Amino acid sequence: MNRTWVTMGTVASLTAPGSIPDAVAERVEDVCARIDERFSLYRGDSELARIASGAARLEDSGSELRQAYADALLWRERTDGAFTPHRPDGVIDLSGIVKALAMAQAGDVLDAAGIRGWMLGIGGDLVWASDVAKPILGIVDPFDRGRLLTTLKPVPGRRALATSGSAERGEHIWSRADLPRTPYLQVSVAADDIVTADVLATAIVAGGVPTCDLVCDRWDVDVLTIDRHGELTATRGMRTATGRLAV
Amino acid sequence: MRTRAILGSALAAFGLLAIGWEIGAAAGAGPATTATTSSGGTTDSGSSSPPTTSGSGSGSGTASGGSSTTATTPTTTDGTYTGGVARTRFGDVQVQVTISGGQISDVTALHLTDAESRSVQISNRAAPILRQEVLDAQSTNVQMVGGATYTSDGYLSSLQSALDQAGWPS
Repeated sequence: MNRTWVTMGTVASLTAPGSIPDAVAERVEDVCARIDERFSLYRGDSELARIASGAARLEDSGSELRQAYADALLWRERTDGAFTPHRPDGVIDLSGIVKALAMAQAGDVLDAAGIRGWMLGIGGDLVWASDVAKPILGIVDPFDRGRLLTTLKPVPGRRALATSGSAERGEHIWSRADLPRTPYLQVSVAADDIVTADVLATAIVAGGVPTCDLVCDRWDVDVLTIDRHGELTATRGMRTATGRLAV
Repeated sequence: MRTRAILGSALAAFGLLAIGWEIGAAAGAGPATTATTSSGGTTDSGSSSPPTTSGSGSGSGTASGGSSTTATTPTTTDGTYTGGVARTRFGDVQVQVTISGGQISDVTALHLTDAESRSVQISNRAAPILRQEVLDAQSTNVQMVGGATYTSDGYLSSLQSALDQAGWPS
């Protein structure tokens, strides 16, 4: 079955070879809706928006928000500051991590319900069940959104593919002020979990080549980058995963 | 030019500069297939490593002769060629290249630097690849499509939705 809905300011898509009971699909949508209501800055009434506006205090926020903020700060340390949960004006912006947290939680819901072979895509990020042995995934060409840049067959063990970009709204990704303008138009990261994939893809876009090197050095992930001139780089795992790359 | 520049980057990334002579000698084509070093031609990916190391695409090295001639010169002989060991300040580098149909079809690192942690980092990094290689990898059997997206106003989300609605295999 295939279910598509709008959430977190983007489009979500859930598929499985068999049927997914409505109650389970609704719980997945609820996970996304709850996180959207709590963390979205574009919704003036969200918990995080109220903190941003000064209407509420961080110290009084719920444990879920504080945990997400703590996670984001940990990722900032791990990426030497390339990933950051702060806008240049100091406002806490967790949009770089909450979608992935929602997807991870949605995956837990699907696994707990015994759904087999599920795949979940939200706003261009993908996560799938552990029993999806060899998913065939496409990555959109940032120069021609109607085409695929490539197809991928992630290596066994990968559970997530996240893609971040600077194409349409470079300000989407906040980075340290001392970092140079990113050379990357789009960065895809395949990892064993969606949070790692999403955070690191965002970090590489923000931090450029030095961060890409850092990520490849520190994490067991596969990386595919495309820069503003259309030139590509790929790690070994991503070369293996792409359609007809010789390795 | 872009293809040549990319190929130059790819060659530089694998420390191939030193083995151009090997290819040339094996193919009997002499200097025509010799990879030479020259300035410019590669895109700057920001590495600070010297051009003669295995760093990716950073150096001034470009296979200005080899990139075009290996693709077009009929005297290039198909086969697998192992380069000599290139000594760099980061350690020894040795690669193997396969020529098929007059084009480089495979580049394998037999040994990359590991003398120090910085070198390991270079060895693990994302290396330049040919866009054509992935562009040819289109498939109608894609289960899901990923890409950078930002808001529901963005047309990528429309694309995702359209693909779903169009019944891309799932």
